[in-house]
Amino acid sequence: MTRSDAALKSRGGAVYGLDLETDGMLFGALVPAPVASGVLRSVDLTAARRAPGVVVAVGPDELAALLPNGGNAERPVFPKSRILYRHQPVAAVAATSLAEARAAARLVRVDVTNEPAFIDIEDRYPEWPSKLASNDPHVVAHVVARHGDLAAAFRTADLVHSETYRTSGIAHVALEPHACLAVVADGTWKVTTSTQTPFGVREDAAEILGIPQESLVVEGTWVGGGFGSKGAAFLEPYALLLAAASGRPVRLAFGYREEFLTGRSTLPSVIRLDTSVKNGTITGRRVRLLLDSGASLPGRDFATGYSIGFLLGPYKIPAFEMEGYAIRTNKPPFGPHRAPFAPQCVFAIDSHMDGLSRRLGVDPVEFRLRHVWREGDRTALYQPVGPFGAAAGLERAHAKVAEWRRNLPAGTGIGVGIGFWSTSTGAGGEVRLHLTANELVIEQAEHEIGSGSVVRGLVAVAERYFGLPTDRIRVVSTSTATAPFDSGVFGSRTVAALGRAVEAAGAKLLETLGARASMVGTPRLDVDGRRLVLVSGRTKTPVAELLKPKEREGGLVTEGRHYGRSGAIDATRAVEGTFYPYTDFTASVHVAAVSVDRETGSVKVLRYAAFQDIGTVLDAGMFRGQVEGGVAMGLGTALTEETLWGPDGRLGNPGLLDYRIPTIAEMPPVEVVAIEGFLGAGPFGAKGLGEPPIIPVPAAVANAVADATGARVVELPLTPERVARALKLL
Amino acid sequence: MTGKLSLVVNGAKGRSISVPDDERLLDTLRWRLGLKGTKEGCRTGDCGACTVLVDGETTLSCLTLSHEVDGAKVTTIEGIAEDPEGRRVQAAFEAEEALQCGYCTPGFIVALTGVRRELGSEATSAALVDGLQGNLCRCTGYLAILRAVDRVRDGPP
Repeated sequence: MTRSDAALKSRGGAVYGLDLETDGMLFGALVPAPVASGVLRSVDLTAARRAPGVVVAVGPDELAALLPNGGNAERPVFPKSRILYRHQPVAAVAATSLAEARAAARLVRVDVTNEPAFIDIEDRYPEWPSKLASNDPHVVAHVVARHGDLAAAFRTADLVHSETYRTSGIAHVALEPHACLAVVADGTWKVTTSTQTPFGVREDAAEILGIPQESLVVEGTWVGGGFGSKGAAFLEPYALLLAAASGRPVRLAFGYREEFLTGRSTLPSVIRLDTSVKNGTITGRRVRLLLDSGASLPGRDFATGYSIGFLLGPYKIPAFEMEGYAIRTNKPPFGPHRAPFAPQCVFAIDSHMDGLSRRLGVDPVEFRLRHVWREGDRTALYQPVGPFGAAAGLERAHAKVAEWRRNLPAGTGIGVGIGFWSTSTGAGGEVRLHLTANELVIEQAEHEIGSGSVVRGLVAVAERYFGLPTDRIRVVSTSTATAPFDSGVFGSRTVAALGRAVEAAGAKLLETLGARASMVGTPRLDVDGRRLVLVSGRTKTPVAELLKPKEREGGLVTEGRHYGRSGAIDATRAVEGTFYPYTDFTASVHVAAVSVDRETGSVKVLRYAAFQDIGTVLDAGMFRGQVEGGVAMGLGTALTEETLWGPDGRLGNPGLLDYRIPTIAEMPPVEVVAIEGFLGAGPFGAKGLGEPPIIPVPAAVANAVADATGARVVELPLTPERVARALKLL
Repeated sequence: MTGKLSLVVNGAKGRSISVPDDERLLDTLRWRLGLKGTKEGCRTGDCGACTVLVDGETTLSCLTLSHEVDGAKVTTIEGIAEDPEGRRVQAAFEAEEALQCGYCTPGFIVALTGVRRELGSEATSAALVDGLQGNLCRCTGYLAILRAVDRVRDGPP
């Protein structure tokens, strides 16, 4: 079934954040900090205020008068003294045109000391494994997990395989930059914005501004790509502040350069792995991680939260020690980027598994099959592994490797990678169903970000649940003022969580209708001509006859909620720091075939196959689209994408010419195969899919390059220069 | 400086409007004429989201000054379906679900229409794809777009 937004979008009718416009609106511009590290002495707005077209200019000193209680002292809109990263906003102006606003922003005089920036985590911590003092001011998080007797495992091993991997910072490159429109009037703060999390923005922006959540309304728009970049308040607090100061609507939007300079994405890491083997089986592993957390504040670092646990799987390892440090640097804070940090973890883990199996002379897929989790196993932190399609995917990958070995020219490298992920439930989600005589409406808070999870996924769940055709089901997205709560479009959770809420609301709907029709057992809905009917056995009753007079207009309304349970982790193993309890595991087993230019080090991906554990495919088009899109984005992470930070905290490649994402001419054919039957916690056993397909791509490509050349590249991305170094050409 | 210029947009009668000398066609279309279907992306000519046809030729509206195209016929996504070729391309994108967030979609549809017009209906898929290299998509991985290209090429006229 074609997604319901296809016609609107292909005709140019979808309104995104950047398209917002209203009468009398002003244009905002932010004033960036001119240094990466320093102390703010003063922000002089005098010249900016006198500039043509300027209506207001606000800086740190204005917050006290504009915000109740002066805003949030711990998370101020503008820094009070210390600058944490270059281009950190220190003031904002609003003017009658964008050109005037930008010109005025340049007139703001920012007096700041210029201190040496801390950019490269290996400058300060070059020795590995390094023992950091727990009171080191740059450590924002320290995590330790261990189990079993690792010393004994290493002492008795046949061999210990050791390697250090490095990964780079990346950027989201959602095609639509951040944009919002704010209005403050009569004590109500309202912002219309392109966001993955309307309720998340409400909570976050209200906290930053120091206003009650109830006084802020967040309304979404169509989202021109998110990938994690539009998951928390970003421009909204500044726009709301300017609207409050000017008394007029304010549009605030970023250009691509600003997106690159201040975007909150994955930052560099160093991952050291040592693995002991006895009789062809892994007996122990030491994991060491240094992660650049950017300008994250202690307790607010995102980096070590969700994904570090992905360094501890998906293999059975009897004894392990894991220690990770998140290090604060003078870059924008680390933020979520499609399966945050998991592609980097899996690049390290599965490069390591591949290299180890080759050293042992064992087939790399066989070697993984010996160790990979299966249902009933326990994770490193002793969580139960539920239905998990990794082994099934590996069997399919094995056959694919053999097929390509026969069919592809000699010299082709073939590599396998296993990604794994846990469908998040977030805090939870709720929907409201409206059943009228002719249609079912699903009202909820989220706006479509592209994956189809809202416009198609929720409809697909309702189709299956009620047995109704697609054209009788409509999804509407309403603002935080009216919509039931949902925690956001992230963590591959939308269909898994909100879909379950649709089922819960559906059960109430059928129960109510059944009672009104005095039916025995659970009835179902069906279509009879234009009308919807309630069916039980041979009895058919038009829905119209079951609606009360006051329901004729808005329909019979029921609400449903789904708040997922979080799993438990073993505290005797998770010794220090935060490890997230994963619940619902998904496997992505990918196979890449590459050719490597032996003179330039350039890698070309010839063929690609993705075996995706999905539980149940709810919509074939959406399934294929997510896997293909994830593979493409992963190929960028694998081969070209890298943010290049200078020692003074300047980003050297803040544009698409120098930060290269895949183009249409570079895509290999991709075979997409669903592995169904390992049922997840979502509706009809579905598992989340937004993130998983990006995860194993860098590992599969790196392993294919090693297969082609015998040389292992241990740093992402695999640029020609790095490959050439591994081939000893440089 | 501001000067008058005349544009024939999507077949409408030529309109005379006052536009600053340094205004880009992208901004004239979006903010003066309200044609927001043309998407603003990088503004540096790298992403292709703002592609329009100027006298039938694919053009990046972000790198074009409005005064450069005084008197020209401009076709945007809002008017592309008036061209049967444009309607075919649009239908192929819908049928193949060659879109996700949709932000790059108007640019792709206009670009493919222009490239087909330029190269003729016999042009190979490879030649058509060559003409789409300046259009970036971050969601689909391009493969559904490639299926739409094949459908346009191989489908009924």
